[in-house]
Amino acid sequence: MPKHALTALALCLGLAAPSVALAEWKPNRPVEFVAAAGPGGGTDTFARVVQSALSKNELLTTPIIVSNKAGGSGAETFIYAKTNKSDPYKLYFGTQDAYVLPLANKLSYSLKDLTPIAAMVFDPFILWVNPKTSGIEDVKGFIAKAKEAPGQLKLGGAKAKEADETLMTLIEYSTGVDLTYIPYKSGSEAAIQVAGGHITANVNNPSESVEQWKAGVQKPLCVFENERLADTTVIADGMSWHDVPTCKEAGIAVDSFAQPRTIWAAADLPPEALAYYTDLFTKAAAAPEFKSYQERGAQIPRLLTGDAFKDFIKKHEASYAEIYKRNGWLRAEQ
Amino acid sequence: MDISRSTMDIAAACVTAAVGAVVCYGATLNGFAWGPSGPEPGYFPFYVGCLIILGSAGTIVQTLLRRNAAGHTAGHADADSFLDGERLRTIVAFFLPIVAMVAVSAWLGLYIGMGLYIFYALRVAAGFRTLSSLLAALAVVAVNFVIFEKLFMVPLLKGPILEAFGIY
Amino acid sequence: MGNFGQLMDGFAVALTAHHLMIMVMGVLLGLVVGVLPGLGAPNGVSLLLPLTFTMDPISAIILLTSMYWGALFGGSTTSILFNIPGEPSSVATTFDGYPLAKQGQAARALTLAFTSAGIGALTGVLVITLLSGWVANFALRFGAAEYFAVYFMAFASFIGMSGGSPFKTLVSMMLGFAAATVGIDTISGEARLTFEFDELIGGISFLIAVIGLFGLGELLLTMEEGLKFEGVKAKLDIRVIARTVAEVPRYWATLIRSALIGCWMGITPGGPTAASFMSYALGRRFSRRGRFFGKGEPEGIVAPETADHSAGSCALLPMLALGIPGSATAAVMMGGLMIWGLSPGPMLFTSQPDFVWGLIASMYMGNIIAVVLVLATVPLFAFILRAPFTVVGPLITVVCVIGAYTVANHMFDVWLALGFGIVGYVFKKLDYPLAPFVLAMVLGDKAEDSFRQAMLTSDGSPAIFFSNGLVATMMGLGLLLLCLPVISALIKGGRGPKDGTAAAPEGRSA
Repeated sequence: MPKHALTALALCLGLAAPSVALAEWKPNRPVEFVAAAGPGGGTDTFARVVQSALSKNELLTTPIIVSNKAGGSGAETFIYAKTNKSDPYKLYFGTQDAYVLPLANKLSYSLKDLTPIAAMVFDPFILWVNPKTSGIEDVKGFIAKAKEAPGQLKLGGAKAKEADETLMTLIEYSTGVDLTYIPYKSGSEAAIQVAGGHITANVNNPSESVEQWKAGVQKPLCVFENERLADTTVIADGMSWHDVPTCKEAGIAVDSFAQPRTIWAAADLPPEALAYYTDLFTKAAAAPEFKSYQERGAQIPRLLTGDAFKDFIKKHEASYAEIYKRNGWLRAEQ
Repeated sequence: MDISRSTMDIAAACVTAAVGAVVCYGATLNGFAWGPSGPEPGYFPFYVGCLIILGSAGTIVQTLLRRNAAGHTAGHADADSFLDGERLRTIVAFFLPIVAMVAVSAWLGLYIGMGLYIFYALRVAAGFRTLSSLLAALAVVAVNFVIFEKLFMVPLLKGPILEAFGIY
Repeated sequence: MGNFGQLMDGFAVALTAHHLMIMVMGVLLGLVVGVLPGLGAPNGVSLLLPLTFTMDPISAIILLTSMYWGALFGGSTTSILFNIPGEPSSVATTFDGYPLAKQGQAARALTLAFTSAGIGALTGVLVITLLSGWVANFALRFGAAEYFAVYFMAFASFIGMSGGSPFKTLVSMMLGFAAATVGIDTISGEARLTFEFDELIGGISFLIAVIGLFGLGELLLTMEEGLKFEGVKAKLDIRVIARTVAEVPRYWATLIRSALIGCWMGITPGGPTAASFMSYALGRRFSRRGRFFGKGEPEGIVAPETADHSAGSCALLPMLALGIPGSATAAVMMGGLMIWGLSPGPMLFTSQPDFVWGLIASMYMGNIIAVVLVLATVPLFAFILRAPFTVVGPLITVVCVIGAYTVANHMFDVWLALGFGIVGYVFKKLDYPLAPFVLAMVLGDKAEDSFRQAMLTSDGSPAIFFSNGLVATMMGLGLLLLCLPVISALIKGGRGPKDGTAAAPEGRSA
């Protein structure tokens, strides 16, 4: 009997202890945010907005240090994560790159070296042209122009064999046109090239081209989403983000191709720290600083944590793997 | 032990040629043809590697010619010394502690590494008194700590000892 | 003149006690990060960014730009005193600044650098004020081919100038190209020359190479020469500063030439580093005292410093007007703009005139404050040099090691810097010029990227480099610069010994 009582007590303690610990873990020293992009890049801005949301609203009172490890298209960040196993004071900020990069390149890390924490928001993709220099006004004109001279229509984007080029191959696949992809260092650089009339089109997150749209040197043709964007504030030409048709309705049958803004920790993150951060970033997503960041970028507010995020990663990785396979981009061993 | 300048010239050229060869080899892994839409990724590196080898070979030939010419006229070709034994010792005595500092830093963190190095450099190499060397080393560590950890919030490598003391 | 009126409004915004205090703070902090190699202006600005979240945008940008000016000035300090460029763009300052300091004229060298830098910066701001509307449209004309032409001009102006063995120049430059290639290729997305080492996938940082080649390499040389900086026991004379400031207008030709090069490279995508190199090279070729360059010639300091700072100021214009940062620091500031809720782009000038013109006005003030403050530090720095090398040497070593670490928080980088240190030592003793290496490393990958982008755009036809007036002119100028040494050699032909080759910038080893 006393034996049973002891066991029961032990069980109770065993059950209670983690929940106590779950509630109690709190960072007591500076937390480092490692952004998988150079200063000024999309992921860098994301990390710094989260930083400002956390520190302004005093959600996290220990200092936050943002550092950049942009090398190897951001792979450097996740390789760094591998060397800091179970460290709860280092968080890694990226996009889908965390699980897409290892598909094409031989890298020493894999998804197993990371603990997913959250996808805080999604960036839609838009197809842009310069209406003045190209004479293209809508998706029909774009496809007609591309069919007229196969391989002559130049489409720019950020980096090679990543989201932008993947999206281009999806356009080619679904419409049967032949485009030439030109990689630049960043999405805004590609946007300027379109604005200057050096290339015909580019694919981009809305925030990277909105100023060019206002200036009349770029025009959004369609958004790669299943539904139109929500924002109805007029931006330019009497149009709002909501007035931009989805690519599906305009004639390019590509499914939603949004880019998640993701936060990771290294593998073996203590569960109580994971619980703490999940809660923290859920709060951060509701902070006014983050809300205005979402609005400026015409982003899709969709917060994923825990199992929902894990499921999403699995599906997203699989869909990228399939596209990569079709494009012949998968690395040799697979 | 004297190293003549021409020997060193040839040795350095051999090293750069080897680097050139490595670059060429690395470039072949990416493909180095001029494709239909411009050069492939390895195109420029491959020819850069070739030019390194070419330049190194040029240096070797030039040095040999000069050595022979000097040999015919003056008799002692190697009068121009690159490094003699004494200077080599000075250099090594300066450089090895730096290597040691980096090795210690990689293991125990930069603050301990730099502290030990400054202490060594002042006490042993410069011959200051133990106390003043110690104080100077502590001062350097403290100043760096304040600048990097507090002022600019750039965390330097800490290592296990400092972490054990609760300094992260 | 609309711009002028708006500038006056801008002064009204910028000239408050609060903002002046922010400027002083920013400049001082900038000086500290500029002096420490590894902690350059981009780091400094990104470290201050969190502080600005709670400020209003105009105060925030004034703080960041003031820090930028401070860091630019600080970068020249270590170039001159210790041969360690604190910033990539101050590498060219070492060529004459360090020799002049070694001759015991550190205070003069520093004053020359700061004064001409200030003149360069103010010229840059003036250009921004006058041409703001025009530049945005002009910059839009730059496609990949035009980018390449700008880089080509920078290379071409530099290639002919280094003296010494052409084989060694070739090897040095090509090694720079090879180092710049390491990492992931922008155009193909493939890893190049990494041989599957994780440490190499991020590429080799330019700063690591510079800390090793210049900083540690020079320490080894000094060590070997006998434990001391030769002749740096300068008399500390405050009057030197005043006398040197008065001396600067004498170099008006170099000042004008360098400021023009700087503004051009700042507006186009060349950037401050390319500007300082190009200005140094052209100064060497066109100045009457060109053949003394590399031996501590004042004009050899004035030329790169003026160009560096005028380019640094002008580079802010493409950032504001196009959202294309002209330098790494501008990229960080652009990130800041977006966090404060401002979008850089063509509409910023019309939608936020208070912000833009307040910023431009603060650039005048900030630079003047920076020059005054930095001149005040000259005696302090000159004093540091009087300490014995057995003390200063280890301190510089520690600064180099920490600098190498802080570039990317990698211990591997520190080892790499030590390796570069040995290379720098051997190369300098064997008279390999280091300038071509540095230039190739800074511009090599950018030049390659834009070349291949241009090729993709034109379907492989090199005609794109002569497809319009702008690019054809730049390519033509580049070719002319490339052939200039040959032409001038032909003209001089037989007119006695060639006097241009003796003074290579690095031809000063023991």
